[in-house]
Amino acid sequence: MRLAGKRALVTGGRQGIGRGIVEAFLAEGATVSTCGRGNRPKGLPDAVTWYGADVSDVEQVEELAQAAGVVDILVNNAGVQVEKTVVESTDADWDLVIGANCRGVFNMCRAFIPVMPQGGSIINIGSISGKVADPSMALYNASKAFVHGLTRSIAVDHGPKIRCNAICPGWIETGMLDAGFDLSDDPHAARKDALSRHATRRFGQPADIAAMAVWLASDEAGFATGQLFTIDGGMTAASPINTGLF
Amino acid sequence: MTGKLEGKTALVTGGRGGIGRAIVARFLREGAHVYAADLTPQGSLSEHDEDGSVFVKLDVTQETDAVAAMERVQSGTGKLDILVNAAGIEIEKTIEDTSLEEWNRSFAVNCTGTFLTSKYALPLMRKAAQSGTSASIINFGSYDGFIADPGLAAYCATKGAVHALTRAMACDHGPEGIRVNAICPGYIDTPMLQSFFTGDGSGAGGKTIDQLQQAVRDVHPMRTYGTPEDIANLVNWLASDEARYASGQLWVLDGGLSAQVQQMKL
Repeated sequence: MRLAGKRALVTGGRQGIGRGIVEAFLAEGATVSTCGRGNRPKGLPDAVTWYGADVSDVEQVEELAQAAGVVDILVNNAGVQVEKTVVESTDADWDLVIGANCRGVFNMCRAFIPVMPQGGSIINIGSISGKVADPSMALYNASKAFVHGLTRSIAVDHGPKIRCNAICPGWIETGMLDAGFDLSDDPHAARKDALSRHATRRFGQPADIAAMAVWLASDEAGFATGQLFTIDGGMTAASPINTGLF
Repeated sequence: MTGKLEGKTALVTGGRGGIGRAIVARFLREGAHVYAADLTPQGSLSEHDEDGSVFVKLDVTQETDAVAAMERVQSGTGKLDILVNAAGIEIEKTIEDTSLEEWNRSFAVNCTGTFLTSKYALPLMRKAAQSGTSASIINFGSYDGFIADPGLAAYCATKGAVHALTRAMACDHGPEGIRVNAICPGYIDTPMLQSFFTGDGSGAGGKTIDQLQQAVRDVHPMRTYGTPEDIANLVNWLASDEARYASGQLWVLDGGLSAQVQQMKL
């Protein structure tokens, strides 16, 4: 039980990666709460406290901070994705993506850092898309680069009291990934092509990301701060040109 | 019109190869006195061996050759403002298929060659730097020093080593007025690239070489390969006094290739 006695708050724990982190933290003995827009999701383990909160709304985050109290571990996972180029993006898209992915992480860190104890760990969910560009994901890509920069700033400004790192997931098996393949002309071929670009020949699972989150949250990671940890099955280690796939 | 490199002396290793030849031509146009160093006057091309540069026979893996090349420059212009380490080879294999001899040969040309040529050029470059303007060493890294092309293991490793060596040299010799940078090309249309495509013909997936090449171009945001002249444009700038504050950096020139993630076929 690597997180016994620790209090953790994970934003966006309704599904996908956030849910995976919530379950892994529980299994390691932490007291876990999570939040999201709307009501408590069905099937969320009883031991987990749910807060209805939109991280992009500063007042809701302040209320959340009042309700949740002191936490040792904060995971900023909540995020949204809009698949558009700069020219296609509307003001509403900007508000949505930057609101959740940038403002949301800022709101949470500003509200919780002052009450986090010595040895606290903040884990932000960045993305490989913050390092290299996914096509037609302009605001999302930029928002994740913001998360990477903020991660380093928090580590520098709030060490040694608090450590702050980011995990940069690649393609993780969530509902979002399947929806992407379903839009393809040939979902089977698209999946096969994408798999062959991964050295692991599989996509990630939320549990793969959660495993790194557990380590970063634990005292074993006491010297790890200010860094970006990519978990992508080797995809971004390879050149986008693989003549074997043409 | 006076060129950007008027009065400067340059030595380009691999100076008769695909990229090296374009650098030599550009340096000559910019008014430099240029030594083109290579294994043979023809280098890896067969057309012409006369281009206005002074040919110096140089096997970059041989210490005696490096010493002799610099003695030649010493007795000529007596100083060296610009050194371009463009000589390089590529073994297209995984580590399992790479023999120890091939591995050693890759490091000998790409890393040891950069080391030896730079080592023996330093006294001549200090002389140039003492004249008031900085001297400039330009190494050849690669975008493969950052991300891997499949089946190119030793090459990727040598280029990663050149990147680290570039920063180390910049650190050590900056105080002497010697700037050191590396250019990291992506896919440049050279004999080396063409041999990469025609090598064993595998991986073409039923496509002709031309179709395969078009598919590769299409992965680039710029939808084309770079040319040796594109590389020479940046080498020229790094060699010139305009770049007097540029040192210790890795300059990727790849048509945007490595700015993007894998291009899935969705």
